[in-house]
Amino acid sequence: MNVNEAAAEALRHAKADHAESYVIMSVTRSAYIDGSRISNIETKTDAGISVRVASGNRLGRACATLNDTSSAGRCAETAVKVSSFSPKNDGFKGYPMPSRPAVSVKDIFDKKIDNITDRELKDLLSAVIGACGCEIPRGILRLSSVRSAIANSNGLLAEHSGTMMYGHFTSMHRGRRNGEGTESLYGTSLSADPERIGGELERKAKESASAEPFAGKEVMTMVLPPCELGDMIISSVGSAVNGENIFYKRSPWTEKMNEKVASDILTIVDDPTVPGPLCSEFDDEGSPATKKVLVENGIFRRSIHDSFIGQSTGNGIRRDPTDAQNVYSAAVSVKPMNLIVSPGRYSLDDIVSQTDNGILVEKFAWPEADPLTGRFGLEVRCGHLIRNGRITETVNNALLMGNMFDALANIELIGRDAVNTGHATVPAMSFSGTELAGN
Amino acid sequence: MMHHSLQKAVDTMIRLGAEFCDARSQTVKSIGIQSVNGDIRHLSDKIMSGVCLRAWIGGRWGYYTSTSFRDDETEKAASIAVMNATGAPKGSMELNVADIRKKAKQNVKIHPNNVDMREKVSAVLDADSAQTTDGVLNRIGSYSDEVNDNILINSVGSEIEWEEVRTRFRVMSVASDGGRMERYYAGPDGTKGFELVKSLDIEELGRSTAREAVLTLKAKRAPNGPSCVISDPMISGLLAHEVMGHASEADEVVKRRSFLTDAVGRRVASDAVSMYDDGTVDGAHGTILYDDEGTPASRTAIIENGIYKGYMHTLESASLMNVRPTGNGRAENFGKRIWARMTNTFFGPGDRTLDDLIADTKYGVLCDKMVNGMEDPVGGGFEAKVLRGFLIENGKITDMLRSFTLTGRALEILTTVDAATKKVIFDGGMCGKGIEDWVNVSSGGPYCRSNIIIGGG
Repeated sequence: MNVNEAAAEALRHAKADHAESYVIMSVTRSAYIDGSRISNIETKTDAGISVRVASGNRLGRACATLNDTSSAGRCAETAVKVSSFSPKNDGFKGYPMPSRPAVSVKDIFDKKIDNITDRELKDLLSAVIGACGCEIPRGILRLSSVRSAIANSNGLLAEHSGTMMYGHFTSMHRGRRNGEGTESLYGTSLSADPERIGGELERKAKESASAEPFAGKEVMTMVLPPCELGDMIISSVGSAVNGENIFYKRSPWTEKMNEKVASDILTIVDDPTVPGPLCSEFDDEGSPATKKVLVENGIFRRSIHDSFIGQSTGNGIRRDPTDAQNVYSAAVSVKPMNLIVSPGRYSLDDIVSQTDNGILVEKFAWPEADPLTGRFGLEVRCGHLIRNGRITETVNNALLMGNMFDALANIELIGRDAVNTGHATVPAMSFSGTELAGN
Repeated sequence: MMHHSLQKAVDTMIRLGAEFCDARSQTVKSIGIQSVNGDIRHLSDKIMSGVCLRAWIGGRWGYYTSTSFRDDETEKAASIAVMNATGAPKGSMELNVADIRKKAKQNVKIHPNNVDMREKVSAVLDADSAQTTDGVLNRIGSYSDEVNDNILINSVGSEIEWEEVRTRFRVMSVASDGGRMERYYAGPDGTKGFELVKSLDIEELGRSTAREAVLTLKAKRAPNGPSCVISDPMISGLLAHEVMGHASEADEVVKRRSFLTDAVGRRVASDAVSMYDDGTVDGAHGTILYDDEGTPASRTAIIENGIYKGYMHTLESASLMNVRPTGNGRAENFGKRIWARMTNTFFGPGDRTLDDLIADTKYGVLCDKMVNGMEDPVGGGFEAKVLRGFLIENGKITDMLRSFTLTGRALEILTTVDAATKKVIFDGGMCGKGIEDWVNVSSGGPYCRSNIIIGGG
């Protein structure tokens, strides 16, 4: 049974006013690096279905792995049964109607990933290990081929075929203090450059090992490279433009449409036509993906939606940019396909040279802002202090504190070289007014 | 039928050259319910099942996992697992695998499969409704249960069948004063059945959570810099987990990635600190009967009276370090890799009371609930985010503090622990290894006092 047949089979068994079935099948080849050696090699086949139904505005969802030919039908019957226990939800606006794609999405299927051999996978990882002048204690490269179909009782049928690459590597430099570097890769094609990855891992680990604990407290400019900024933007802007958060009034940008929320130099679009691991012509509910301006010159212009509260913008997402497995078990949630910060004209070196007093953060423990409040207090694992446009020392063991929504109003410079970080494509940026505290 | 297929896979992998192999099937059934402002926003029934075949040849693993495992596909599946065992060999070693034939079930009073869905939905809506009060913007109630059935057969003759049951009930209130927003949450979890919900005063849980969310709107910014910190059991547990737990996972130690490599026998903390990982704690969220390699759960002393004692092991790491496996070889599910992972990780009790600790603190902060944390096995640092706290001045609580973060060097902090309270409390959650591979764990401890860098936005 292929994805279309399974989706259709589920709809036949879904005796409800409205029904939707989403089927995804994937094959993933992955290999790990453990202690600078290629370790576990895995082949994973995954197939699953999610069925949503609504009868008399009672909603239910069931999902299941597709273990045999009866799985799809059983899952649909379970969803119908589940819905009978649900109280009425008058907010339900129906599943999407059939429609044509609104944009053309290219470069989402790479035959090289689909046909990858053991030898090629191992050669790639060996090249990363060879290019890194220090240890790689841990690493993973995961390549997936994915086929999915979404069908609903309105007659909608949307299919998607794509490939995914995800990699995450950590390096370690041994010295008086051990230092760690990390590199992540996201994409739809086998575009990994092992020389660059290995080189960056070595540089980051060595710089981290040279870091000294920061002492004192200072207000300074925060300079974030794309790898640290992407999740900060998603956890703040991604949450603020989320239509469900606005509906429940928990977005800080509720009732701020067409008002100023950020610096004039900030423009953010959600653009599925710029390659990213979640980009597709339809979202995971079958609504056409669209390019839209969310923040224009600092003005909040548009929110993003799934079908739950109606007027879907093609942002009902189940997929994950890091993993093709178990996608069927995820609930639809509102997410950007590719949140893009419009680039500026500065290199990272330019940004550093134009910063009087700041910190270029090489590595946070985990970059995120509180989606409700925008607040952050993040451990700096490796950062470079900038004094009068020059990097003067490398520090760690400190907290960098601020509020991301305030920071968006205090942007100093926007870089030109954007990198995809999964849900977002962002350049380096600098923000004034954050505070660094150490021991 | 499944036993037969798994045994056939094991036999085939051995025939194709595996020195050791195992075949594991897993079926996870779960119910998830979430309400927002009186509406059921999510109501789902999930069933996820599949198999994982592992072949060990020349010191390397090959994996094959699949959601489809028909008897006629066994030969192909087994041969792929064997063919995948072509990484770099880790040296000659024999895995110390126990030969166990047993069927076991977690001891729950009311199995969630025997509870009508209406009762579960009703509990969530009751919790939602109980949060209704001025200032609360979002009332969120959630319930989940999970029944996890496993069969493992390996090439040394083990044939184990076991069931794990977990239940979680949670309420969260988002409060707003028109400008600022804050949240508060509460609710239990554990390897328990529906008795976990039956034992709750849902009305009071919802009401008190809403009240605390509204109160948090007046919380002030936390002081920044080094401070005396009294961690609540949730934050103590987060520190145990992030500060020392991840670095005590032996697969990080055999690679010499952990700052605790070669630490056994060394003083790493003050006398007041003892710490354990214990997969057998009755009812705790991280409790398991067997790990995903078929090793029975056990209690591992990590620190006793400030002295470092030992690591948590998989079959492979135990073999490399020539010790017994500890039952910590765990995977997110059948489709994921097995790593050394924690179960229930906690600091041991002290002999003080909380009132006593507060009265004895001239200036500091008391933590109240966690947001999340991040480990640093290489550098020995950590990050722990606290939902809110209280300022202590001259032995008294004087102000409420909004969310802040704790950081510092693990070994420096643990040497400053000077007091802990008598009761250990556990809190359940999900733990990732780095940024993925999520497993059910709990962490806990008493209230502990130490010196930590704090700061909040």
